[in-house]
Formats: sequence, C-alpha cells, structure tokens
Amino acid sequence: MARVGVFVCFCGANIADYVDVPQVVEEAKRIRDVRFAIDYKYMCSDPGQQQIRDAIAQHRLTSIVVAACSPRMHEKTFRKALSDAGMNPYLLEVANIREHSSWVHQKDKKAATEKACDLIRMAVAKSIANEQLHEISVPVTKRALVIGGGIAGIQAALDIADARIPVVLVEKSPSIGGKMAQLDETFPTLDCSQCILTPKMVDVASHPYIELIPYAEVLELQGFVGNYKVKIKKKASYVNFKTCTGCGACWQKCPVKVPNEYNMGIDKRKAIYTPFPQAVPNKPVIDAEHCTMLLKGKCGICAKVCLPGAIDYKMEDEIIEREIGAVVVATGYDMWDPKPYEEYGVGRFKDIITSLEFERMVSANGPTNGLPLRPSDGKVPKNVVFIKCIGSRDEAKGIEYCSKICCMYTTKHTILLHHKVHDSHAYVFYMDIRAAGKGYEEFVKKAQVDTGATYLRGRVSKIYKKGDKLMVRGEDAQIGQVVEVEADLVVLATAVIAPKDNPDLARLLGISYDKYGYLSEAHPKLRPVETAKAGIFLAGCTQAPKDIPETVAQASACAAKVCGLFAGDTMKKDPMVSTINNEYCSGCQNCVTVCPYGAIVTDEVPMGHGSKELRTVAKINEGVCQGCGSCVAICRSMAINLAGFTDPQLINEIVSI
Amino acid sequence: MDYTKQIQEIAAKLFAEDKIDAFVGYRMTGFDKNQVPAIITGADDVSKLVFNDKSVFNLSNYLKHEHTRNKRVGLVVKGCDSRSLNLLLTESQVKREKLYVVGIACDGVVDDEGKKMQNCVECMFPDAVVADEMVGNHGRSGSETLIQTGSETLIQTGSETPIYKINADVLDLGSKDLVQRREYFEEVFENCIRCNACRHSCPLCYCAKCCIDQETSTLYNGANTTSSAFHALMTWSLHLAGRCVDCRNCEKACPSHLPLHLLHKQNEQVIYENFQEHLAGVHEGDRGAFYKYSMKDPDDFIM
Repeated sequence: MARVGVFVCFCGANIADYVDVPQVVEEAKRIRDVRFAIDYKYMCSDPGQQQIRDAIAQHRLTSIVVAACSPRMHEKTFRKALSDAGMNPYLLEVANIREHSSWVHQKDKKAATEKACDLIRMAVAKSIANEQLHEISVPVTKRALVIGGGIAGIQAALDIADARIPVVLVEKSPSIGGKMAQLDETFPTLDCSQCILTPKMVDVASHPYIELIPYAEVLELQGFVGNYKVKIKKKASYVNFKTCTGCGACWQKCPVKVPNEYNMGIDKRKAIYTPFPQAVPNKPVIDAEHCTMLLKGKCGICAKVCLPGAIDYKMEDEIIEREIGAVVVATGYDMWDPKPYEEYGVGRFKDIITSLEFERMVSANGPTNGLPLRPSDGKVPKNVVFIKCIGSRDEAKGIEYCSKICCMYTTKHTILLHHKVHDSHAYVFYMDIRAAGKGYEEFVKKAQVDTGATYLRGRVSKIYKKGDKLMVRGEDAQIGQVVEVEADLVVLATAVIAPKDNPDLARLLGISYDKYGYLSEAHPKLRPVETAKAGIFLAGCTQAPKDIPETVAQASACAAKVCGLFAGDTMKKDPMVSTINNEYCSGCQNCVTVCPYGAIVTDEVPMGHGSKELRTVAKINEGVCQGCGSCVAICRSMAINLAGFTDPQLINEIVSI
Repeated sequence: MDYTKQIQEIAAKLFAEDKIDAFVGYRMTGFDKNQVPAIITGADDVSKLVFNDKSVFNLSNYLKHEHTRNKRVGLVVKGCDSRSLNLLLTESQVKREKLYVVGIACDGVVDDEGKKMQNCVECMFPDAVVADEMVGNHGRSGSETLIQTGSETLIQTGSETPIYKINADVLDLGSKDLVQRREYFEEVFENCIRCNACRHSCPLCYCAKCCIDQETSTLYNGANTTSSAFHALMTWSLHLAGRCVDCRNCEKACPSHLPLHLLHKQNEQVIYENFQEHLAGVHEGDRGAFYKYSMKDPDDFIM
C-alpha cells in the first residue's frame, strides 16, 4: 500500500499570494494514499527539507510529492533530502505549482488553487507507480574540443591544457589569432594588441597538451556529454607543413594578387600566403579559389622555388575524427556591412571607411605603414569624422542591440589619430557614450581632453561630396541645430554581429541560437557559460558582443567548467533512460532511425523459450541514452518505456483527474 | 490477365533448381471461382497455382507464417503487394536474400461481382516495384534493370506518368463537418465485432504483441463497445498512416464490411499533400512520412 507524503511550498509570496496553500494542503490530505500533508514557507530551505526527512521516518512514507517551483530549480535539492533520509531519490515527484499555476493564473486565485490541487493529484498518482532507480556511471573522455582560435578560443585552450587535459583547437582560417590579431592597440590601456596576443599564440603552438588544427572546420558532432565524437574537415592547404620551413620564397614569387582579408582588402596578398607575419602556424597555404595552378593547371612557380619541396598540388581535404568529452564554442563575431546607409554614400564615396579598416591603417604592420590615408587620393586626412552606432541600436537598418565596444574603440581611434597625425581634428557623432568598465570612463574623459576631439550628440542625416571633401550633415541635439562638418575621411563604427555560420554550427552541435544568430546560454544570469546541451560551453562574442577582458574571463570560465566536468573518471548520469521489452519488440528498428543520440542498436534473441531460431530486437545503450523519449513515441508495439515516465505512471496521471 | 502458366513454370523451375523451400501463390477454393492464398512446399503441388484477375489477396502477409518465416521463399506480388513487401524489407521483417520475388505487371483485379476493384482503378503503381523476375508486359521487361534502377526510373519510363487520384469516398467524407464525420464513424463502427481480422489480414501488422492487446492498454480494454472499437481502429489507422499501400486486405477480411479504406485513404491523402507527395513503400529504405524528418515538413501547426 502506497503511503504518500505531500509537501506544499509557499515560495514566500510567489505561490501563497495566488494559491490558497492551506486549502491545497487540506485537499491533498483527502487524496487516497496520502498519509501526510503539510505546508511550509520555503520547502527548499534546510528546515523545510528537515520536515521531509522527519516525515519519511515518522510516517513510513513510500513516495514523496513536493508541490513547489519548477523541477528544474530544486528537484536535485529534494532528491538529496530523500536520499539523506534513506529513501531512493527517484521516489520523488515535483508538482510545479509556481510556473504552472500561481505565476500564470495571478488574476484568478480560485482557479489557480484548483489547478494546484489537480497538479498535486497527478503527481501523487504518478508517484505511486514510481520505481526505485539508480544513477548510471559513464566513463568520460578527458579531451576538450575548442572551436575557434581567436582570443576566446586561445585562452580557453591554454587554461584547459594547463590543467593537463588534452585540447583539440580547430580554427577556420590558416592562422589562429582572430580579430584581436587585426587590432593595433587595445582600450583602455593602449597595450599593443599583437604584443599581448602573440605570446599566447606561440604558447598554443608549443603546448604539449594542445593539438592545433588550423584551416579546418567541424563537420559533425555525435554522442553526449563526456563521450562526444567529432568529425573535423581539414581543408587542403597544398603545403606540407611538416617539410615547409616557412621561408616565404613561395609567396614572394607568386604572381597572383588577391585582396588581403587581414588588411580588410586595402592591399593585396598572394594566392599562396600566410595571413600575417606573426601567424601561428607560420606556414603558407594556397588559396584554391585564386591559384592559377589549381584552377588552370598552369604556373607552378611556388613548387619550383620551394627548396624543401613542400608544395603538393594534389593534396585533398582530410577528415579527422577525435573522441572528446566537452566542447568550447568560440567562433567570435563579424562586422556589420554598412551598405544599407545609402544616404551616407556608402559604396559611392571612397573616403568613407569602416572602423576595422581604420584600425588596419593605423596598425604598425598595416598596409599604410601606420598612417591613416584617404583611399581616394592617398593623402593624410586632417579632419576625420567618426560616426557611432552604425547598424547598432538601429531597428530600421541594422540590429536592435548595442554592440557594446564601439564607444570605446572609437575613443581609442581618436587617440590613435591624434598620435599619428598631430595636426588632425576628430569629430565624433554619438548617441550615448557607454563606458561601463574598469577604467573606461576615465579613458574617455582623458581622451576628450588630450585629443581635443569635438563630440557632437546626434545622428548624421546625410553625407555629400563637395570638391574632394565630404560634407557631413547631422544634428547637434545639445544646441538643437543642424551642423555640417567638412571631412577628409569618415569612419563608421559598424556594429558587431554574429558570424553568419553560427546557425549552421548550432544545428550541427544541437544547441540553440537567438534571432541575431548568437548562440544561447543556458541561463542569462546564472549559467552564462553553459549551453542547454550538457558539455558544450560558450566563450566570447559568439554568445553576445564583448570586449577583450570579458571574453578572456568567459574563456577561463569555460576552462573551469571543462575541468570540473573532467574531475572524475566517470560521470554520474540520471537513470531516466529507455528500456526495451523484448517480448513486445518486433525489431522494426524505427527507434534506431529516430534516436538522435545513436543510443539504440540491434540484438538477437531466441524466437521463443529454448528456441534456436533467432529474431532481431532493439537494445538501448544506457550510457548514451539521454531519456528524450523519441523512441517511446515512435514505437507502435509500445515495447519501449522510459524509466521515470513509464506508461503506468503517465496513465495514472491522466486517470487521476 | 491470366499468368497461371508462367507462374507454374517459374515455381517449378525454382523448386527444380532448389532455390526455394516454399512458394506463396494463389489456388482455387475448390467450390467457387474465388481464390485463396496457397503456400506450396514441393514441386508436386505446382499445378495447383493459378493467377488471374481474381488473385486479390496481398501475399506479402504470408511471410510471417511459420512455413515461410526464415525460409527461402518464392512470392508472387502485384504492384500494391510489392510496396508492402518493400516496407517489410525496410522494417527488417523479412530478408531480401531469402526471397525470390515474382513481380506482376498487374492489370487490376476484380471483386465478387466481376467489377474492377476501386483501388485498382486509382492504382499508381500497377507494376511490382520489387522483383527478381517480371511477369506480364507493360512496355517494360527485364527484372534486373528494374531492381537496379529502382522505382524512380520505373515511374519515369512508365507508359504514362502516374497521377495521384483523390478517392471519391474520401472527398465525400471530407465535405462533411467534424460532428457529422464523428457521427458517421460512430454509426459505422457500431458494427465492429472486435474480431481483429483486419489486423491479421494486414501485411504490415506484424507486432509481437499488438498495443491494443497489452495489459496497460486501458483505452482499448478488449470490450466490444463502440468506444473501444473506435479507439482501436483509430490507433490502428494511425499506426498505418504513411505505410498503408491500399491493398484492401483488411476490407476483404472484415466480416462486418466496414469501409476501412476510408481511414487509410484519408491519411494517405493528408500525407501526400503535406509531406512531399509521400506514398508508402515506393522506395526501398523509406520508412514513411512519420518516421523521418525533412526540412520541408510542414510546421505551421507549431505555435
């Protein structure tokens, strides 16, 4: 005979304000099989849990129903309380009377109370059919995959590897470094970006625990936390990295010139190239889209000048498979294309550039030897207009959110301009100055004084050409007048957007993404590093726009999460897995095809008792099964049951109301 | 359409070459002009085999019989039968290498009154889509090309492109509103005696223990009431949705003459219109619209 205890939580005012808790307790006492019912202000508090433990002993309870908040919040807490009292923790059922009743029926206390009673009735009925379950132990593959070799990926890989956990670092482009490698100096301290980044890049290359796979992309991820299998496509580089010495003879002689992505297309690179001098690995790759040897079969100069004979035009893409236990996604960000700003003449006027183009120009290793130059005539500009919020906070043309870093980098650009061209003058059109960060506000204030830049609060309505100058017409909202500024160069602070491949990657990894394409964290406040899929973590701008310190902090947080995951040799797993009733299974294997985790295989069993004739049935791999229930739904023979959600449990629930 | 001679020759040849242990075909009942399925286990009985437009039953249903299970079997299939055979192969119920399939280029079979069956009038695939050897000629011959090229080619090279014809009965039923439809089915299912002949006659009902018979199936509870019959038949039709090949074995078997094809044809039509013109059993390896996912699947019902 079942003896059920019901524990109803007030959740402070969260539940008690909209549900008549004492009445619910009275109703609960009337349910058949309920031997004990009580309410408490906070059931999750220690005294609350103590009541559960005491009642189990006193009333010899066989199953427990806690009517409180979502099981996502405190199911673990209450399961722990049950096992502390010597009871199997899976004899607990949580009736969610907060999210499912009090919060959604705030206008009708009577109905909310009735619904709470129904939810408890269902939970009691289900709990009677609950079975004692035991946690499953699964071995863990202690190797992490980091996707993306920008500063986020680099930091995460280094931190994980320093804990002596092997890391596979996959980078899309020929070199790691990401966007940070394109920056000149970094706010608010104006450190040289390359000088602080390249030591970390070298560390990655030389770290015994890091396997760097550049020029590659992730094709497929299978499995589950602790036991993933990943397929990586290593694109053909046409250069044998083992024999290549990185001497550079090949790209010096290569006759094909292609716009240089690293310098935002301001200058040209060759068809065989290393992206930048400090690249890691510092080995060239052949750009198959432009190499005349690969396209037309003519040329072959690089192979002729290569003394070690490292050039291999017949190289093919390679598929690399690795077993891993956790994934850190750090795919970074893209810059928004300001093309929709037609009234500014974007695309028509050469002297309108984006901030990343400006950044490349003022960089010491940039295409113009560190001097900002007008693209139209190559002259040094005197008056430079910076326009912020290009695409950001612009629902009409761009995106709704604030890109977070543009205020700071534009401030930095006014300083860099002042450093490089002493007699220049900067004008900044802005909507707000958002400088929340350690030392940021001070940095902006100091920059305004030092550079003498003119800050104009307002939007620019139009840019037109007058002679070889650009006339920038905008509003100065502080004096309420239209202003016109004569500019030699206009720099647009374009928005930070999610990489366009993010949705595809998210689908491939089985994680979610938001409407902008940023990958979604499990909880916006309390689980900002995890995704909803166990064992996959997010670092850097792939989750939302961030500056470098925040990115590095999140990357290290990912590393801590991975190290925590790999702390033991095995991982405990919920026993909510599918079981197959061989007697009912007809071996149609529909479950095998629908299982998203590849957890179902086939097995041969005797046709009947003692029979030598064999028949095929399905078999669940408990370690792989995640308890999603797809197989249960697809099985026509009803041969599959999900532990914790068996047919008797669910039918009990339905019949109870 | 009379292929008796050809089929007897093929069966005799297969037994002579020791390629099969049993041959599944049709024989006369002995007291009227109708035919019954026959499982022949030796060359002596080959002369009993017949095939003409009275050969209505879907013989792929007899592969779960104890004389045929896990044995080397020769089997006669018409277009519709071959599609259910295709599903049985896909759902791992029979092994292809144990079968010798005699495909018929079918001209349609007739009912008791000698009228062409309605499903044959609407048939899109009269030729067997799986076969080791073809009998009859619709402008195509040669079993090997048929197997290698698969049904895709079969459709394209056909004398005329098959067109999906919406069943008149289903259209008629669809014109009624939901209340009238429920009333109609309640009235019709009143006559169900829960004998389960429909299930036994269905080649795709092969479950070790049908969900309707399980102890936990309180909804179906075995009682002969309109409600339990309604639930059982509705569940059955959903388990066949996207799999039913419209062979109408069930209707032929039903002693109460229930219009069971209405359930299946309605499902078939909805699936054809919503799931990329899916038809059951045409392609080998295709489990059916409910058992696979495509980006083109409709999702307008998701809130």
